[in-house]
Amino acid sequence: MFEGLFQFLFKYRPVVFERGELAFDAPWPIALVLLAGAAAALPAVVIYTRPQARLRTPDRALLAGLRLAVLGILVFCLARPMLVIATVVPQQNFLGILIDDSRSMQIADEGEQPRSEFIHETFGPEGSELVAALGDRFKLRFFRFSETVQRLGDVGELTFTGRRTDLARALDAARRELAAVPLAGLVLITDGADNADAPLTEILLQLAAGRVPVHTVGLGAQRFAKDIALERVATPRTVLQGSSVAVDLTVAHSGFGGETVRLTVEDAGRIVSAQDVRLPGEGETAPVRVHFTANEVGPRLFRFRAAAQPGEAVSQNNVLEALVFVDSGERKILYFEGEPRFEVKFVRRAIADDENLRVVVLQRTAENKFYRIGVDDPSELAGGFPKVREELFRYDGLILGSVEASFFTHDQLGMITEFVGQRGGGLLALGGRHAFARGGYAGTPLAEALPIVLDSDASSDGGSFFAEVKVGLTPYGRGHPVTQLAEDVESSEARWKELPELSMLNPLREVKPGASTLLTGRAADLSDPLVVLAHQRYGRGRAMAFPVQDSWLWQMHADIPVDDMTHETFWRQLLRWLVSGVTDRVAVTSSLDRVERGAPVTITAEVSDSGYIRLNGAEVVANVTTPGGLEREVPMEWTVERDGEYRASFLAEEDGLYEVRVQAQQAGVPLGSAESYVQAGDLQTEYFDAEMRASLLERIADETGGRFYTPATIGTLPEDVSFTESGTTVHEERDLWDMPVLFLMLVGLIAAEWGYRRQRGLA
Amino acid sequence: MGTVLWVQPLGAPARPQGQRPAREANAQGRAFYFTRAEYTSYGRRRFGSWAVDFPKADRQFLIGLRHLTNIDAYELENPVRLDDPDLRRFPFLYALEVGYMSLTEPEVAGLRDYLLAGGFLVIDDFWGTRQWANFEAEMRRVLPEYDIVDIPVDHALLSAFYHIDEILQVPGRGGGVNGRPTWQYDGYVPALRGIFDQHGRLMVVINWNTDLGDAWEWAEDPWYPLQFSNFAYQLGINMILYGMSH
Repeated sequence: MFEGLFQFLFKYRPVVFERGELAFDAPWPIALVLLAGAAAALPAVVIYTRPQARLRTPDRALLAGLRLAVLGILVFCLARPMLVIATVVPQQNFLGILIDDSRSMQIADEGEQPRSEFIHETFGPEGSELVAALGDRFKLRFFRFSETVQRLGDVGELTFTGRRTDLARALDAARRELAAVPLAGLVLITDGADNADAPLTEILLQLAAGRVPVHTVGLGAQRFAKDIALERVATPRTVLQGSSVAVDLTVAHSGFGGETVRLTVEDAGRIVSAQDVRLPGEGETAPVRVHFTANEVGPRLFRFRAAAQPGEAVSQNNVLEALVFVDSGERKILYFEGEPRFEVKFVRRAIADDENLRVVVLQRTAENKFYRIGVDDPSELAGGFPKVREELFRYDGLILGSVEASFFTHDQLGMITEFVGQRGGGLLALGGRHAFARGGYAGTPLAEALPIVLDSDASSDGGSFFAEVKVGLTPYGRGHPVTQLAEDVESSEARWKELPELSMLNPLREVKPGASTLLTGRAADLSDPLVVLAHQRYGRGRAMAFPVQDSWLWQMHADIPVDDMTHETFWRQLLRWLVSGVTDRVAVTSSLDRVERGAPVTITAEVSDSGYIRLNGAEVVANVTTPGGLEREVPMEWTVERDGEYRASFLAEEDGLYEVRVQAQQAGVPLGSAESYVQAGDLQTEYFDAEMRASLLERIADETGGRFYTPATIGTLPEDVSFTESGTTVHEERDLWDMPVLFLMLVGLIAAEWGYRRQRGLA
Repeated sequence: MGTVLWVQPLGAPARPQGQRPAREANAQGRAFYFTRAEYTSYGRRRFGSWAVDFPKADRQFLIGLRHLTNIDAYELENPVRLDDPDLRRFPFLYALEVGYMSLTEPEVAGLRDYLLAGGFLVIDDFWGTRQWANFEAEMRRVLPEYDIVDIPVDHALLSAFYHIDEILQVPGRGGGVNGRPTWQYDGYVPALRGIFDQHGRLMVVINWNTDLGDAWEWAEDPWYPLQFSNFAYQLGINMILYGMSH
């Protein structure tokens, strides 16, 4: 519409003005033209500047201006204005046409036809006006691209089965291929759903520098009319067997606002969790937390699926997968209790059947007298609480009960802090008459690690604080794996409301800026809730505060049925979560848990000595076992960037599970080993974020001097491509003096002058 | 056998349910309460058997317990009825003179729930085969699925605080001195027995043919043999520390 009107008034399409340069080619010397113009203007100026009784000054100025404008247009036309524009010499230049051959081209998001139908209709054997027009002007070279780029002889070779779309690679390959010929430009026909993570900036700069315009043709809808997609899944890499796993999912949709969809979690085809999700309004995403129990040991590929709905544009994006290693190993936790308390008995009882957790108790029963429970050998903890790092760091977690800070030396307090920060262990501080500020911890090194603010004044209340609190979930705690007491969030929340009150001796009200509160406690005579369960990440580990002193009442209280498992469930989840991310002296992670076949995998290992000091001089080797069972040894090199960090890469060339076992040694002495797993295969990447990305395609066109088209506007492509500075070109002159707009302006100005004079009684 | 200080009618509960002695202000939030089981008994014409040695034995034992360990124990006695829902707030329970025990059905249910939930019961001061038979019959009503077995001397109970390698027969007041026997009725040999749950957890410790309570109650009496009061304190402390951690 706009372009048609523009062309009617200005004779040419906007692109001609964009690309052309204004020039004048008057048949007479330009000075003569200007002189003639001045001569014609002089009488008008003289007449209108002379005072006349019938004309006021504004009238004279307006009429003079109109007359001078008319003369100006005439002078402009006499100067013979023209646009000088570069156009290609027919059949002297090449045009690269890059066609997207990826799977997303099969999506039928506009009507019944897939995106690829445009390709077939336009470039098929029947031919089209577009191809004919392009063929008249250029020598055409076709390319197909997805994760690879190939020359294309015939459109019939396209399969639209590519697993990824790599626009940068496609443009670069085409540029290289056509580097030796006069290249008028590239035409990129795609949905723009690039998923290669390759930066485009560099290749766009190269194309712009080489004056190779890239004209982009966007296929598909910019927003699906109806679709549901799982956009993101966040799972822990490793969990202990039998643990409750909380997974955060983001569900996006269009056209399903207010409707409910079923979300399921599958482990090897078996549904382990299901819940209904009510989708929010249009344009909003739904954050969803799902819970399930990881019972099967080893690397498990969990599949998250939103049930496909009728009319969805893409159903493949309803499914996401995540690889989680379910660890059957045992985590060892030291529980140091400063005085005999029933918490010891009931914590031990709660995790007694948990094969993944072992609690070793060191309980002070009198001055300098300790009672050890669950030690491996007579020497373990024989000297009381550990005094050296090696002794403490052999544990994965540490529970501190009611023990005053002055019991520890300053070095021991620092060592506990390092246990969390450097070793990556989990610390759980319980309430009690010798705990937190009441136990003198304010201002100690350990206070830094704790998630709560220790108010030193709290210890000056004479130790008289006592409150029986009703424990409740915070919004954060509502979906946290530690506080899930039932299969679904609603049942869990209801269960929390039923639990009996607990007593607290430590009035903690404030958590630190990076900490999160899961549980709070309210008492009738307290205006503010108290912190009951909070955690924060401190360095490599987790620190938690649970400042109640009798959680065993959740087992023993008369309101709790004898066979109720609430207390057991809570403590198992609490301790499992506390130590679930704790690594050994050798730890390994892979850059991704799932990769497309053929993609590179980077593995990173951290190696420490027995005191968890990072080691740089270790010999570290990764043994990579392919899905086919072949074993390959990949040496790992110290990264230099960080102490104790080693890195190596390999290509995942087969579909299936790769096992990476890293072994480290120093001077022939083994330091330890660790495993990681990577699943290679078809990630269905093409079906995620598969809507046409007009903004990206416009950017590519803008930065290289091309234009962006859709199938509806592509008719002008052949002519537009002709106006280019690259390749073999000639300069055309296009007259502007006969533009209709000039004629209309002349008529309009004269009519305005006449009309004004008539209105003022001068005609 | 000791002195009965707390009087109750024959065969009747000590106090109506829910009525408990008012606690002192400093009783709140303590780690340990020496809790004595109030139960229904028969055969004692005037006194309820649960209250034997009460409360002097309790208080005197608590003095020793607090002196010898760092436990935050409430200083006074804490009797609780077996059918009182509050019983489960006190995971350690002491009962004696169970040879006269005659539990009501609510008491049976209350004690059963208490033990299955995780409570720890120490039985003391009953003698001879007749009293054993009565106690055994009552416990069968409470925990019919579990047997009473001997606790070996190498059990962790006997090394929780003190190392005890021999079970002594602790006599009642006046016994064991000047040639008087330490036993009563036909209870010549002391026994340490227990009831374990299906996971091997000790729920009930049974001190038969011995009277730890009298030893606690009369520990300050110069006529009471030191070796028995020492042993009674040692075993008592061990049972508490074990019961609080296992």
